[in-house]
Amino acid sequence: MAKFTSILYDTFFEIKDRKIFWLYWIVTFVMILVFAFLPDVKINGQNILESGNIPEEFVAEGIAMFFNGFFGFMMFLMVFGSAGLLPSYLSKGRVELALAKPISRTQLLLIKFLSVFLIMSSIFIVSCSVLYLLISYQAGIFTGYFFLGLLVAIGKFLFIYAILFFFGIAFNSTAATIMGYFIIWFVSNLLEAREIAYQLLTNKVWQGILDTAYHILPKFDEYSANTMSVMKGNGFSDFYPVWSSGLFGVIALLLAILIFKRRDY
Amino acid sequence: MNDSNIAIEVKELSKIFKSGLKGGEVQALSEVSLKVDKGDIFGLLGPNGAGKTTLVKVLLGALHATKGSASVYGLDVRNANSRNKAGFLPENHRFPDYMTGAQMLKVYGGMSGLSSGEIKARSKDLLEIVGMSKWRDMKIKKYSKGMKQRLGLAQALINDPEIIFLDEPTDGVDPVGRREIRDILKRLKEQGKTVFLNSHLLAEVEAVCDKVAILDKGKLIKTGPVSELTRVSSTYQIETIQLPIEAAEQIKTAFPHAKLLTDNKISITFEDPRQLNSLIDILRKLNVEITAAIPVKISLEDSFMQLLRGEVKHG
Repeated sequence: MAKFTSILYDTFFEIKDRKIFWLYWIVTFVMILVFAFLPDVKINGQNILESGNIPEEFVAEGIAMFFNGFFGFMMFLMVFGSAGLLPSYLSKGRVELALAKPISRTQLLLIKFLSVFLIMSSIFIVSCSVLYLLISYQAGIFTGYFFLGLLVAIGKFLFIYAILFFFGIAFNSTAATIMGYFIIWFVSNLLEAREIAYQLLTNKVWQGILDTAYHILPKFDEYSANTMSVMKGNGFSDFYPVWSSGLFGVIALLLAILIFKRRDY
Repeated sequence: MNDSNIAIEVKELSKIFKSGLKGGEVQALSEVSLKVDKGDIFGLLGPNGAGKTTLVKVLLGALHATKGSASVYGLDVRNANSRNKAGFLPENHRFPDYMTGAQMLKVYGGMSGLSSGEIKARSKDLLEIVGMSKWRDMKIKKYSKGMKQRLGLAQALINDPEIIFLDEPTDGVDPVGRREIRDILKRLKEQGKTVFLNSHLLAEVEAVCDKVAILDKGKLIKTGPVSELTRVSSTYQIETIQLPIEAAEQIKTAFPHAKLLTDNKISITFEDPRQLNSLIDILRKLNVEITAAIPVKISLEDSFMQLLRGEVKHG
């Protein structure tokens, strides 16, 4: 337990030292200010949320849509905030200090992964929850489904960070980690819309290749559709993107461990 | 030697680094075998690129050996538990500079399996010993190189290790700090700890080490007690008030290898130490006043240089 808490403690201080950590709070604070003053926004002389012209379901849907977008933006910041953590930990002169401790490489890497995930998720939960509580208070609508959606969104960060972790180990560079991640993200999003490409690609072999790539890669947008669905209280819309993306994350993490165990530092 | 007395055992250890896509290879260590006894201060010497840091990194599990084996306190270095009793100060370390000195010790103490109570007590003592108590709550990014080195030493000792690996521990430390580090090493020896010291500062190694090994191009070229490498030679320097020409000529005749250094100083290498008496007899007969007869000691640096140049047989 001492090993876990000390790596967690170290990771917390490192994240706190990064400017992007403060950016999360600035973004959250700005959003809080925006929504704190929202009751003053008037339509036809009436408060936007008290006008009675807007049905409750519509407001709830609007809140869910807003948070789905906000989660995406916060995830984007989290990618930049966490991509450099592992390359920094593995940098020359620092990694030797960790490797010289009586802790196996697998244990070291898993604890580091868990530490980053726990701290980043905590920041995400706190900032999103504070914002949601304010908005729900202003709108007079509160639903526990939001928090379920929040958990699903955190699940997305789990496989996102596994991908970052893999590139972090493989390339040992923050820039290459971010590039690697965005290549996967870009290709995955393209593949999610592969039906359009099928209209141009009559060749079945190519269709097969695109299909296989789609099934292998994580499904970012389709996963987010689940977050939205859960937040609206409709449960998972399609479980396939959840488990297949999770599987990709597990494989990425296992590969990262394998590379780390074999590598010389 | 009883096996239970051995702190480190390295058997025919080789390390080859593959470089580039063309499959180039660099042999960093070549069939190195050595033993370090418990309680010794062992110095590993060698020019830059000799493989000293590579060997330490293999012993601490940061590098994987290509061939051969190594153990620390009886445990194979591939087993993480072999580092239970070890402390390490790497060369060119990069400490987490977003932390304070005390916070860093908390992290590395915890990673060694210490409880927070133990860390608190050890940190207090160690920061005192390395002279860093005043700066314990200052961010590491504000530390000087010497301060980081002192903190690094405290970090290496946080788990009260039985064996301490130090890679260039006095790098960037001022002469006073070096002396203090030397004193700490001597104190560790008194406590029965084993110290494995990598250093290119030969005078420092000579002052503290019991045994040394010399590496060159990945090969172990000499290992043995420091006293063996810094032996008193059969060369003497004789000093007189004034050496008359007549005396100098007689000495040259009796000892053809004698070298006249100045008009009152002469250097002679004797084949037999008893020949010193014959020389003194010659000088006294000629009423030359002898002020000193100094045996010339071969320093570790001299031995080291001779070994590297191949002037002395390896062994």
